[in-house]
Amino acid sequence: MANTDTKPGTMNPVGKSVQRLDVMEKVTGAAHYTDDIPFGNALLYGRVKRSTVAHGLIKRIDVSKAKALPGVKVVVTGEDFPNLIGLYLKDKTVFARDRVRFVGEAIAAVAATSEEIAEKAIDLIEVDIEPLPAVFDAEFGASKDAPLIHPDLANYECPNFIFPVPGTNISNHFKIRKGNTEEAFKKCAVIMEKKFRVPHVQHVPIEPHIAVAQVEPDGDVTVWAASQSPFSQRSSFAKALGVSESKIRVIAGYVGGGFGCKAGVTMENVAVALASKSGGRPVKVRLTREEEFFTNFVRQGLIINLKIGCDAQGNVLAMENNQWWDGGASTEYGVNITRAGGYNSSGPFDIPNITTNAMCVYTNHPIGGAYRGFGMSELHAGIIQVMDMLAEKIGMDKVEFLKRNAIQGGDFNVTGMKMHPVGLQECIDKVAKELNFSVKEKASSPTKRRGKGIGIVWKAPSMPPNAGSSAEVRLNEDGSVTVSVGGQEIGQGTFTVMAQIAAEALGVAYEMVKIEGPVDTRYSPYEWQTVASRLTWSMGNAVRRAAEDARKNILEMVAEAWGENPANLDIKNGYVVSMKSEESISLKNIVVYGIPRPGDQGWIGGPVLGRGTFMPSYVTNLDKDTGQGARAVVHYTTGCQGIDIEIDTETGKIEIIKAVSVFDVGKAINPDLVKAQIEGGFIQGMSSAIFEEMKLVNGVMKNPSFVDYRIATTADLPRENIAMFVETAQDDGPWGARGIGEHPMTPTIGVLANAIYDAVGVRVSNPPLSAEKIYLAMLEAGVVS
Amino acid sequence: MGFHQISVKVNGNDEVVTVSSNMTLLRMLRESLALTGTKNGCAAGECGACTVMLNGEPVNSCMVLAVEVDGQEITTIEGLAKDGQLDIVQKTIIEKGGVQCGFCTPGMLISARALLNRNPHPTEEQVVEALVGNLCRCTGYSRIIESVQAAAERS
Amino acid sequence: MTSAHPGLPEFDYVKPAGLKEASQFLAQHAPEARPFSGGTDTFVRMRDGFFNPKYLVDVKGLEGTRVLKIDEKEGLTIGAAIPMNRVVAFAEASRYPLLVEAAKSVASYQLRSRATIIGNICNASPAGDTIGACLAYQGVLNIHGVDGPKTLPLNGFFTGPGKNLLKPGDIVLSITLPVPPKGHAGRYIKLGRNRLSDLSIVGISAMGVKDSSTKSGYKFHLAIASVAPVPFIPAKAEEILANNALNTETIILAAQAAMDAVTPIDDVRGSAQYRKFMVRNLVNRAVTEIMQKLSA
Ligand SMILES: Cc1cc2nc3c(=O)[nH]c(=O)nc-3n(C[C@H](O)[C@H](O)[C@H](O)COP(=O)(O)OP(=O)(O)OC[C@H]3O[C@@H](n4cnc5c(N)ncnc54)[C@H](O)[C@@H]3O)c2cc1C
Repeated sequence: MANTDTKPGTMNPVGKSVQRLDVMEKVTGAAHYTDDIPFGNALLYGRVKRSTVAHGLIKRIDVSKAKALPGVKVVVTGEDFPNLIGLYLKDKTVFARDRVRFVGEAIAAVAATSEEIAEKAIDLIEVDIEPLPAVFDAEFGASKDAPLIHPDLANYECPNFIFPVPGTNISNHFKIRKGNTEEAFKKCAVIMEKKFRVPHVQHVPIEPHIAVAQVEPDGDVTVWAASQSPFSQRSSFAKALGVSESKIRVIAGYVGGGFGCKAGVTMENVAVALASKSGGRPVKVRLTREEEFFTNFVRQGLIINLKIGCDAQGNVLAMENNQWWDGGASTEYGVNITRAGGYNSSGPFDIPNITTNAMCVYTNHPIGGAYRGFGMSELHAGIIQVMDMLAEKIGMDKVEFLKRNAIQGGDFNVTGMKMHPVGLQECIDKVAKELNFSVKEKASSPTKRRGKGIGIVWKAPSMPPNAGSSAEVRLNEDGSVTVSVGGQEIGQGTFTVMAQIAAEALGVAYEMVKIEGPVDTRYSPYEWQTVASRLTWSMGNAVRRAAEDARKNILEMVAEAWGENPANLDIKNGYVVSMKSEESISLKNIVVYGIPRPGDQGWIGGPVLGRGTFMPSYVTNLDKDTGQGARAVVHYTTGCQGIDIEIDTETGKIEIIKAVSVFDVGKAINPDLVKAQIEGGFIQGMSSAIFEEMKLVNGVMKNPSFVDYRIATTADLPRENIAMFVETAQDDGPWGARGIGEHPMTPTIGVLANAIYDAVGVRVSNPPLSAEKIYLAMLEAGVVS
Repeated sequence: MGFHQISVKVNGNDEVVTVSSNMTLLRMLRESLALTGTKNGCAAGECGACTVMLNGEPVNSCMVLAVEVDGQEITTIEGLAKDGQLDIVQKTIIEKGGVQCGFCTPGMLISARALLNRNPHPTEEQVVEALVGNLCRCTGYSRIIESVQAAAERS
Repeated sequence: MTSAHPGLPEFDYVKPAGLKEASQFLAQHAPEARPFSGGTDTFVRMRDGFFNPKYLVDVKGLEGTRVLKIDEKEGLTIGAAIPMNRVVAFAEASRYPLLVEAAKSVASYQLRSRATIIGNICNASPAGDTIGACLAYQGVLNIHGVDGPKTLPLNGFFTGPGKNLLKPGDIVLSITLPVPPKGHAGRYIKLGRNRLSDLSIVGISAMGVKDSSTKSGYKFHLAIASVAPVPFIPAKAEEILANNALNTETIILAAQAAMDAVTPIDDVRGSAQYRKFMVRNLVNRAVTEIMQKLSA
């Protein structure tokens, strides 16, 4: 063991780009992901029988042949699991019971001694389904003519901020009525209206979904899962099985990419269902890549109609915003994404008059889930383009138009919430400068066209008002620190940031801190979910408080031993020092064994354990009819993106010359990790904007593989991908920090569309902004022949 | 279905394994030899997470039958570091911040090492070409590409 | 919709000792036995349920499949066991620049460590990237069947998507590409959705050479991927390039003729309409670039 005293350490690590905590394991192949855990010979392999019909009534399920196949140990169907579950709206069962609602929906499952046998058994299950008329378009689905997908909608349990419309396919109708939109439009010099369609896309983590479940003799259930939300999964499993939370334990190791799809519960329920009948044998269910594409939660499609008007000076006066979200066969996050689409519907603009109808609509498509941005990529895709159209129409410089209308601290936003200080103006300036935005540049060849686009976004953590965090900080004999949290390392670097926060708050070197993993709901402190870009801020606050609590215990112990006031003591580089007496003592040993009183008169202190929790207490509900309220969300992260492109007029291909993204992160706890999030987020945004679309034809996904559903590769990068940030402190963030995980991908569709327009004079507005679409649009407009 | 006994050198160790005809090299490494650093991302030759070296050349181990590697040599991510010393590509990917969730990392590093073995001083475009079959959803790739260039400069 | 198998379905792996035995086994067990080289098409199709072989016959150990050689008279011979990367790295293959360029465009480096040119040909996909080059170089397949060795010219080998002239028991041992005309230039332009590694939306193989027997003084071989049920040779475009003074207008005419001749379909990679325009624009680009090379 190296002598920790002499090891060079990083003191005051907050604000420094320290090396990630998890890299040694990850570069050597030692990091354990769920599929890497050995379970021995007892392990059973689960496979799922899925619906091939988009909407229909189940007339018959015959599992007898599957059951008879040697090696098959368990066969379960919907009959075995009648409970209604769902994160917000309880509208689905683990397996389809009387009705199937999308192609890929689980109907039955098998656990067998090998994957091959399970697969064979699945083929032996006979299912008769009587097809029903189906809904494949959200706008149609919301109409009176659409067949009903959930006739029982009126009876579903749901929280008080979700508003289903019984007798329709609308699972949530969120409204904003702010000011007087109709009157305001009359005062506008220019009004632009446009309808956009954003297709379904997939998250595409490189690690497919996986879960292993096992039931103990006392009925307790353990689930190992690639999970962004072990605690909320625990409560979901408990509801599915009709048992209490304490009977369930979720263990979640490293996650090979989440992006939202490993939050909530999808296929994990199948593993739990099979394990509940396997006589104690563990059951592993792993999605194939194909299943990952068509059965998993999707980024739901959006149809949005935007009408926005401004006066002759370029002040945006009014917006009418109608959204039809394709929530799919049932809802998990979809209803809340719709809510986010509503209460963010202005985008980061100060607009006095707004009418919004955001509707989540049942369709016979895969189920909508959370995807990096939680609706904001889709929403901003349209807003960024219409704002660009408005600026052009009134003949105003685009940067000036954005700056004039961008939301500022003190403004009362779309829900009537008073905005905290935001550095959006600075973000816009930085992008404009870095991209030389006002200069029209020359294309590199006569067959190419050059153009630039710019746009701004905002996003608040979309979560229940009372999403909580907690943390524990323990000190060890050698003076090192162990931090326990329930938030997940999904690649974003949260464990590293938590270690920085703990080290800074305690007064020890960063290298002395370890984060306990894997997250285990039996031992780890509670965390709502690793979503919403909320961990640095929320879990960071809990860790900071826990570290401060530990620090207080230490200082009080030493103060008592030295007969000093704790206020005169400090912890520096692993030593308690007195500013008065200049005495110092190492944390080693005393943080576990305490300090002896002089003259063998007993001991002071003992093992140091700090605890911290955080939960926002100020978020209020919104009025059902107007969407107005005192404070809808905790805060907003805002930012600006600009892109400089060239288009090959012979093929329609885009080449990105330079992309610049600048976000206001409040405080960059780890600047390099912030930049890494922005760079990676931009590429994911670019990939979804240019390449990605689930090609759903009558509910069937036609491209469920990497060969047919392309994502960006090393060969598709911008020549320059520039990430920057500004720091306007958040009042209740640790050192002022707020989240940045999701935001970088949210502007890209709209900004790219603006750049395409600037380059070739044609608006290609609906993603994917593929070479083909651009070429054919240029052809139609006569730009090429 | 037929079973075959094969001999194979994996990360320098001689192994004798009994494999079924339909067992891929990927499954053999993970299930028979407990070398779980090699990841299964698609089982269809598309994502590159399962990339290992077969006689020094990178292959998608999901696209090779275990029985086909009888008498051959395999290097997996677990065999990249030598005598407790990280390979230079492992060091530089850490330094450049090219690791996030880590699931593509083993395959990425094998592709990088194989590239530098056949071409110690690749151009940026050659790095791009060598890694195009390794999908990454987190990093946006540029730090990974830089890390391979940095490794080339230093070796 | 069939859902892909999590691994590979069950089958028996067979490694025959000799050619005769191999051909006989394949013929006797047709259609349940299937030969394979790199397996990169075979395994994918087995996972998808399109192929359900009971036996997979590994041809890579068979006599004549490991050849990779150049012969001053016969040209280049590439065995069925030779993965594309080895062809690309083979110094003498640079005499066939169109083939090298096409081979480098297939999938990823690691896939090309296994994927073979023979497999690409036998798979008979209209999208096969190396087929056009082999056609342009007038390739001939060396085959072993139940009746012994035989040869088949590649031109005419393809009978439909995934279909070819091979009979049960036939094993393609290698392909021979005759010595190419001196001073020829080649260009493979592959348009995918991604810049590299995608399957082609269209793929243009073009080879040109100075030739005193034609009116234009040039002869061109063209083949186009992903625009017809089989790899497509736009004969009319080739004629236009042979029979008219080679200038911008002629190239435009030829490109238009190619566009008019192709019969693409809509699929997940691209629409028929887009494909047609891309054939025109990229044939134009390929021929123009070859003319530049030839006059350099
Ligand atoms: C992820 C991925 C990406 C791909 N991208 C591309 C691409 O960009 N461009 C492209 O063209 N292809 C692509 N392919 C398809 C495939 O890799 C190529 O067609 C490859 O050349 C096939 O060669 P193989 O040796 O692996 O074929 P195999 O799978 O071994 O065989 C293919 C077919 O040929 C038959 N066959 C093989 N050898 C013989 C023989 N000696 N005699 C008779 N019949 C034989 C087999 O029975 C089978 O029907 C891709 C495949 C994958 C998995």
